Amino acid sequence: MRLTLQMLISHGRVARRIGLGPESRINMLRNILTGLVRHERIETTRVRADEVRFYAEKLIDYAKKGDTDEKAMKMASFWLTEKDLVPKLFKVLAPRFENHSTGYTRMARIPNRENLDRAQMAVLEYKGNPFPPLYPVKKENELTLINQLLKGYREERARARVLAAEA
Amino acid sequence: MATRTACQVFRRRFSSASAALRPSTAEIRSRRNAVFSREQQRQRALYPRIEKIEVSLRGPGLDGTLLIMNKGMSTPLSCARHLTEYHMNNSALALVDGELWPLHQPLTDSCTLTLLMFNDSDPTLLNEAYWRSCSALLGQVLETAFKDDYTVELLSTPEVPVTSGAFCCDVVLDPQLDSWTPSPESLRSLTRGAQQLIHQNLAWEPLEVAPSVALEVFSHSRCKQEEVEQKASDSPKGTVMLYRCGDHVLLSGGPLVARTGLCSQYEVTAMHSLGQGPWGHHRRTQGLSLPLQLQAHHTVWRRLRERAEKLVSFPSCSQRIPYGGKADTPPLALQTPPPTP
Repeated sequence: MRLTLQMLISHGRVARRIGLGPESRINMLRNILTGLVRHERIETTRVRADEVRFYAEKLIDYAKKGDTDEKAMKMASFWLTEKDLVPKLFKVLAPRFENHSTGYTRMARIPNRENLDRAQMAVLEYKGNPFPPLYPVKKENELTLINQLLKGYREERARARVLAAEA
Repeated sequence: MATRTACQVFRRRFSSASAALRPSTAEIRSRRNAVFSREQQRQRALYPRIEKIEVSLRGPGLDGTLLIMNKGMSTPLSCARHLTEYHMNNSALALVDGELWPLHQPLTDSCTLTLLMFNDSDPTLLNEAYWRSCSALLGQVLETAFKDDYTVELLSTPEVPVTSGAFCCDVVLDPQLDSWTPSPESLRSLTRGAQQLIHQNLAWEPLEVAPSVALEVFSHSRCKQEEVEQKASDSPKGTVMLYRCGDHVLLSGGPLVARTGLCSQYEVTAMHSLGQGPWGHHRRTQGLSLPLQLQAHHTVWRRLRERAEKLVSFPSCSQRIPYGGKADTPPLALQTPPPTP
């Protein structure tokens, strides 16, 4: 084809190039998606996790159509290389996200890999997985001294407000 | 009734007569100090040979750790020093076999130890101990604040729940000061005195003594002697707990925290007059304090301080915690005698 300057500049192009070519990219993402469906939380490079996210959510959308649907079953059997995960997808993951419309996955970045390549890593998970949360929720302890003092302060203010309302 | 007024008259007459001959506050303090040190030496000499005890620790990340410590010499603080600096600086009280144990009191038997900190999941007992220590500190400041001509009598510090907003220290001042009301400047100077003590980071050294020794320590104060007798009758073992901070010896109804440096924000907020009592003109000094690990923003502090200026009154005048027992007795009404544990 015509060798233009625009071919070498990639400003504004959003499609990522992964692996050896488009077929290699799909195969890699298929493997990663199978791992995600099997383990529900995986750790890969940031770019691969970001790419798989779109496919993971689309797969759930297809699974929600039900396993009797021909197209859904074809998609599931294409994308999941290990065939024992197909029933897991339709029977476990699809019912889990019945009431969600979007956002079935969560991605969290983690420190770079220790190897020489220092690749940027991320953790990708399906929401509702049985593992401890990625961002642990810190609960305020109600019984510390300062919280007890503030509780007393709040109660006194409430009492004063009630008295003022009665008067 | 006639005899009671006669007794009061005689007591007042005798107290005013002995005021002329009574030794100065510095002398009283040094005498109390000497008796305390003597008793402390005697108790330490009870363990001439070093015997080992096994202390197993409990707590997040520490379960099952076994320490070999010395009997009668190692304190929970020395156990904390075997762990990390964080444990040493942040632990304020210890639980030995479920019983509250001051951090500087020596361990006597193989036991299980839990170090209590302010950011635990359940610091209720520690909060009460902290409130008690703050009142004790306020009492110490009041004793040293006035000139030698004026006498200061500390009454038994009432047990106030933390949610009431301020800790109290009941005090009876010299009859010459009956008409004196403290101005904000004097409260601020009391605060400064307390801040100096906090800055010196003095340890509250505990000592469990027989009532006779305690009566000897407080030989110049009839009010304190009555308190000693009351506490001795309350406690299951019949002993009384004395604490020394710097050179001031005091009596306490329960365990105190390890050292004064644990308090960071400390302010004396108000002094209210409660009217005439059996010892004279009762005054209730109130204050507010927060520990080093739980500092408040200045807006929050201002609101809590405004609340602490109001008079704290509660149904029971002094809730006695029997020493050596668990601190969960219900509040007492004013006239009924304390329940025996």
